[in-house]
This record gives sequence, C-alpha cells and structure tokens, in this order.
Amino acid sequence: MRFAAAITEPTRTPDFQANAKGKLPTRRQTIKRMLAAAALLTTTALTGIGFGAAPAQAEDEIRIGVIYPLTGAAASTGVELKAAAELAAAIINKEIPAPPGLVAGIGLPHLHGAKIKLIFGDHQGNPQVGATEAERLITSEKVVALTGAYFSNVTATASQVAERYGVPFLNGESSSASLTQRKFKWFFRTTPHDDLFVGNFFTFLHDMEKKTGDKLRTVALFNENTLWGNETTKLQVKLAEEQGFTISEKILYPAKTTQMTSEVQRIKAAAPAVIMQSSYLGDAILSMKTYKELGFSPKMLLANDAGFNDSEFLKTMGKDGEFVISREVWALDQAERNPLIKQVNDLMHQRSGVNFNGNSARAFTGIAVLADALDRAGSTKPDAIREALQKTDIPASGLIMPWKGVKFDANGQNELGQGIIVQVQGGQYVTVWPFDVATKPVVYPMPAWDGR
Amino acid sequence: MTTGTNFSRKAAGTGALLALAAVLPLAITEPSQQNFLILILMGAQMGVAWNIVGGYAGQVSLGHAVFYGIGAYTSTMLLTTLGLTPWIGALVGGLLAALFALAMGWPCFRLKGHYFAMATIAVAEIMQILVTNSDFLEGAVGLYLPMDRSGWTWLIFLSKLPYYYVILGLLVLTVLVSWAIERSHIGYYFRAIKDEPEAARALGVSLTRYKLIALSVSAFLTAMGGSFYAQKEMFIDPGSVLATTISIKIALIAILGGVGRLMGPVLGAVILITIEEYSRTLFGSTGSGTDMIIYAAMIILVAVFSPSGVLGLLGDVHRHLGRHLPGAKPEAEKAEKMEVRP
Repeated sequence: MRFAAAITEPTRTPDFQANAKGKLPTRRQTIKRMLAAAALLTTTALTGIGFGAAPAQAEDEIRIGVIYPLTGAAASTGVELKAAAELAAAIINKEIPAPPGLVAGIGLPHLHGAKIKLIFGDHQGNPQVGATEAERLITSEKVVALTGAYFSNVTATASQVAERYGVPFLNGESSSASLTQRKFKWFFRTTPHDDLFVGNFFTFLHDMEKKTGDKLRTVALFNENTLWGNETTKLQVKLAEEQGFTISEKILYPAKTTQMTSEVQRIKAAAPAVIMQSSYLGDAILSMKTYKELGFSPKMLLANDAGFNDSEFLKTMGKDGEFVISREVWALDQAERNPLIKQVNDLMHQRSGVNFNGNSARAFTGIAVLADALDRAGSTKPDAIREALQKTDIPASGLIMPWKGVKFDANGQNELGQGIIVQVQGGQYVTVWPFDVATKPVVYPMPAWDGR
Repeated sequence: MTTGTNFSRKAAGTGALLALAAVLPLAITEPSQQNFLILILMGAQMGVAWNIVGGYAGQVSLGHAVFYGIGAYTSTMLLTTLGLTPWIGALVGGLLAALFALAMGWPCFRLKGHYFAMATIAVAEIMQILVTNSDFLEGAVGLYLPMDRSGWTWLIFLSKLPYYYVILGLLVLTVLVSWAIERSHIGYYFRAIKDEPEAARALGVSLTRYKLIALSVSAFLTAMGGSFYAQKEMFIDPGSVLATTISIKIALIAILGGVGRLMGPVLGAVILITIEEYSRTLFGSTGSGTDMIIYAAMIILVAVFSPSGVLGLLGDVHRHLGRHLPGAKPEAEKAEKMEVRP
C-alpha cells in the first residue's frame, strides 16, 4: 500500500498541515511535490516489479516459471491448474511419497537431488499480460523453463517471448492447432490439439461401424456460431468429405439463443444417424430439452466437450442427460483402470479437496514431463533442456493421461496424445473409447425418449 | 495567455522531461522494467489520442478498441501478406481508422452524451464479432507476425530499447498533435462544442464537422498505437486488440489523469499502469485476486477524491492555496501549470 500513501500524501497531508500552520508552500513547491510524488510512484513500482530481481536462491534450486489465469473470468480454472502444478512439484521434490511408475524425474537424481521451485505469474486471460509475465519470469526471476498458459492466445504471446530469449516453453493445456504450426524451436506441447480431437470423432464412428455393423454415414452438424463452432464446423466438413461421410444438415446457431425449435425440426427432417454438436452450457441444455419435446432421438448424439461436460449439465438435465456421448481429454473413471491415476488423484484430493479434471490433469502432466526432461538433461542450460525434451519418450504407463505416451515431433507437438470419448451412464461420465482405455461399453443406439 | 518567461520555463521543463525519458531506459536495463516503461508510454499514447475527442470535444467514446484493432490488423495484414514494412502499414492503418471514424461518426454523432457512448460500444462489439468470424483475418485464431524478420525495417526487435524509443516518439507525436489542436481555433471549437453545443452552433460552428474531425484525428493516432502493439507482442487476435476492456482502459487512463488536459492522460497512464503491474506482480501469483481488489480500490480512491482526474485534484489543491497567495494568477493558468508544453 505504499503507493496509496504516495497519492494522498503530497496533495493532502503536507499541504493541509502547512495550511494550518499558516506557512503556505509556493506554487513551485507544490509542483515539486507533485513531481516527487510521481517519481516516488514510479520508483516504488520499479522496485516492486524488480522485487525478485536478484533473489537469494539456493545453489540446488531450479526455478520454473508457471503462467496461469489466476484472476479474471477463468480464475477458478487457474487456481485448479496451480494446485495441480504444485502437487507435481511436491512429488518431484519428494515432499510426498511418489506413486510408483510415475515418470516425472522424481528426486532429480541427475541434478544431484536439486529441488524445483515454481514461480507463478498471473496473465488474467490477457495475451499482453502473458507476454509481460513471461519476460519478467525469464529476465527477473531467472527461470530455466516456462510452462502454461491454458488460454491459447496467451500461450501464443508468452511462447513468443520464450522463443526470443531461447528458453524452453512447455505447454500442457492449450488446444489451438496453430500453436505448433509456427515451427518454433523452443515450444513443446503435450496435449493433443483441436484438429486431432475433431479427427477422433470420425475415427470413433469408423470404430463403431466395425463394432456394430451399422452404417453411421449421415451426419448433422449442429454448432454454435462463434470462433470455436465455426472452426469445428470447417474441420468437420473437410474430414467428412475425406472420409466418406455425408453432411445431411449443417446448422450454426447463436449460443445465446432462447429457442431452438426450428433448428431441431430441420435436423429431425434430415434424419441423420449422428448429430455432431458443439455447444456451451445454456444452449446444450436447451437443445436437449428441445430434442425431448419434439421426440427426436438420433442413433447417436456426439458432443464436442464444453457445455455437455460442464458439471452443471447433468445437475440440470438429470436423467434426460443420459446416453449423451462427448469427447473429453480425461475422465475420473480412468482411475478404475489405471492404479497410477487413482494414486495421483488421491494425493490431489488429500491436498486440495478436489479430484482431477481434464485441465488440471494436463497441467500436472506438463510439469511432470518438464521435470523428466530436466533430470535427463542433467543441466539447467536451455540447450540441454531442449535437447532432452526432444528426446522425451514416456510410455503410457508412466502418465496419468489416457494417451499412448509422450514423444514430440519436429514441431514440438506430442504425437502420442489422444482424446477420449465418454458417455453419460448412470449419472456419470464413463470412458467408452478408445476401446483399449474404455471402462464401459457404449450404449448404442441412444434409446428413444419414450423407451427410457 | 502565456508570457514569454512562462513559455520558456515550460519549454525548459518539457525539454528536461524529454531528456529524462530519453535516458531512463539506459539507467534501467532490466528488460522487464523497460517493458513496464513501454507499457506506460503505450497507455499514455492511447490516452492522449482518446483525449482529443473524449476530452477536448467532450464526446466520450467507449469503443476506441475498434481503431486500435484496425491499426493492429491493417499493419499486420500488410506485413504478412504483402511484406510491407509496418512503417507504411501503420500509416495505412491510421488512414483506414480515420475513414472508419468518419463513417461511424456520421450516424453516431446524431446521438448525444450517453447515447453516443453506447453507440460506440456497439460499433466496437460488432467489429469484434466480425473479425472473430472472418476467415480472411484468421478469425479467433489470430495473426502471428513473422519472427524471422527483425531490425528497423520490420520494426521487430529482441531488445526492448528500440521499442521504447519508437513508442516514446509516437507519444511525442501524439502530444504534439494534441497540443497543436489545443492551441488552434479547432481546439476552441472543440471546447465550445463540449461546453455549450447550442451556443457553438449559434455562432456558426458546424457541430458534426468538428466532432468528425476530432474523432478521425483521434482514430488515426489510436490506430498507430494498435500497430505498435502488434509489432511489440507479435501476435494479435480479436481478444487482444478489439476487446471491450481495451476501450475501457483507454478511456480510464484519460479520465483518471484528467480529461481535456494535454498531459492528463500521461499522468493517468503512469498511475494506472503502475497500479496494474505493481499489484499483479506482488499479489497476482497468489491466485486469490488480491491484486484485482487493490487495483479496483485504487481506482475507486482516485474516483472518489478526484472526479476530475488526478491533474484536476492537483489543480484544486493549487487553487485552494492560490487564493491565499499574494499576486495569485488566474485559476485557468494555474491548472495548466502541470501541462508541459514544448
């Protein structure tokens, strides 16, 4: 609160005191004071900004910069991500016993048991702030690597800064495909990107055809009309053409719409086997209610995460939300399949009282993959870390993600990542695809509304 | 109004301030601190540009992000598609923004006061939605500037220092334009329109014409600031250059510092950006929102104690004291005391 004093002090206290005593400052003195106030303000700020400029750091402390949205609209997500990153650091530093099998460079043996220290930066969901924080972490906090930033557009600017300074940037949870099309030298991404997720839908349909013998070649696209829905639609149209699917209806609607009767009637008239839907929460709920009202049930409703996976969706829909199929990046039922996921999730639950979700699980994995590379690098030199990241080869068994592993291609994209597909069964999201990580079989076709 | 000695004193003061600004980054070598100075200058430049229409002419625009975005997108598109240097791209962006201001001002200036402000918000929102859905402009994915080019031709640098001097130059240019307007008959027309539109019209001042001039000059300069943003951050998307928060921030800087005063927005930027960066750096990483609380509290404090901006507050104190001083000069001149004039 030093600057609070700086603002009020020169204008109020001294002048009024002087006034009371009858000794009035001349105008020039007043101006001098005002300038002094401005100078004080600036210097205070600069000391503040450079607060950690020369931190007394232990010899064996490895500083990693972590940029998340810790305030603003996405703050609740940011806090979850932070908790997951801190859990990963605690495991790596052996503050808590490491679950057997987890690959995370635990104890950093090749760095003589050095400890990692996470330095957090808050980007507030603003790309410029993200870049500012990245620069501060690199130049003032002397971090050896950066991770973050959840928002794709913030990851874009923050990773540009890292690229310019030649510092490795590992992104664990931004899904815009363009990020790894930039041919950056210092950028690595563990999560699969949006194009791959959309591609998963068609692979899933092929797999279902093989499994059931049914034809699922007629598809209706029902997407909201902002960037996300538009990008998804474009890709779906392209992939459908390439893979021999027919688009029987394509509707883009405004996400804030209050009624969908005419849209749903159009889809019903087109009678597709599958609806592919990208919706936020409100419109997802509205569409389900309209389907029921009009007694329309396709063989399969294939949703694109977002609204359909929001915790509010099932609360509102109750039983009417059953049998919806949606894509996901992670699901809690994976813990039943993989004891490592259960152990790590238990640790998370003990520490912060919440289970992992798709975002926090990916944030955890980001730190783990980075620590694994740091350890193998045996050095904190940027080049060594980068080289180790390039040589990363983590098997599926060492991860808490439903992936085939972690291995980066020439653009820094993890080529072994994959999405999963979940279905609401008994009020829970259960993994139904890929079949090798599924915990339950798919309920297909979706039962008609009057047959439930 | 200004006596010779007064003028030379002001000139000396301005020179000293400029000299200080010129050597400051040589003393402060930490890149993140230089970046902080650049953010202040960027804020100041936007605020001074906004002040021309929002301050002098009294037409409060809450949609200035639209001009900022036009500047950023124009120079970036010209750079990435035609390989045109941003020096020219920024000028083209400025001209486009000025043209857009004319087209937008024509219908919007039929509205007064709050209604005009609301119309500007609407225009900015529409632009954001249009760009978000535009394939040509890469929609919400955003545009990247080529990282393999650097140097003065491309206005892309690894070091912060060149950016600092470029934005300092742009700020000086913006202040000069603002100063020239303030001193010219146009400036008097603007103030007449702000204070007594009916009387101004009765005296033969064309309200629409001068409002349009104010808006387009302001748009031109704001767009140049937008181009600078693109060059500095090297990535733009609708969320970063067309967001409502940018419009609000631009207006806030000017209002906080002192509306309708030449250097008001500069002071406003120093205060606002300092609070913003300082509170985030110290408290932001906790994730508890402390920085936002402090940031908001500081703004409320200033708003409560000084609705006419910090410069206004300083002016009030001054006037209060001035009454007791022998040979006190007229108030208006004292209020201008803080204004640095070249």
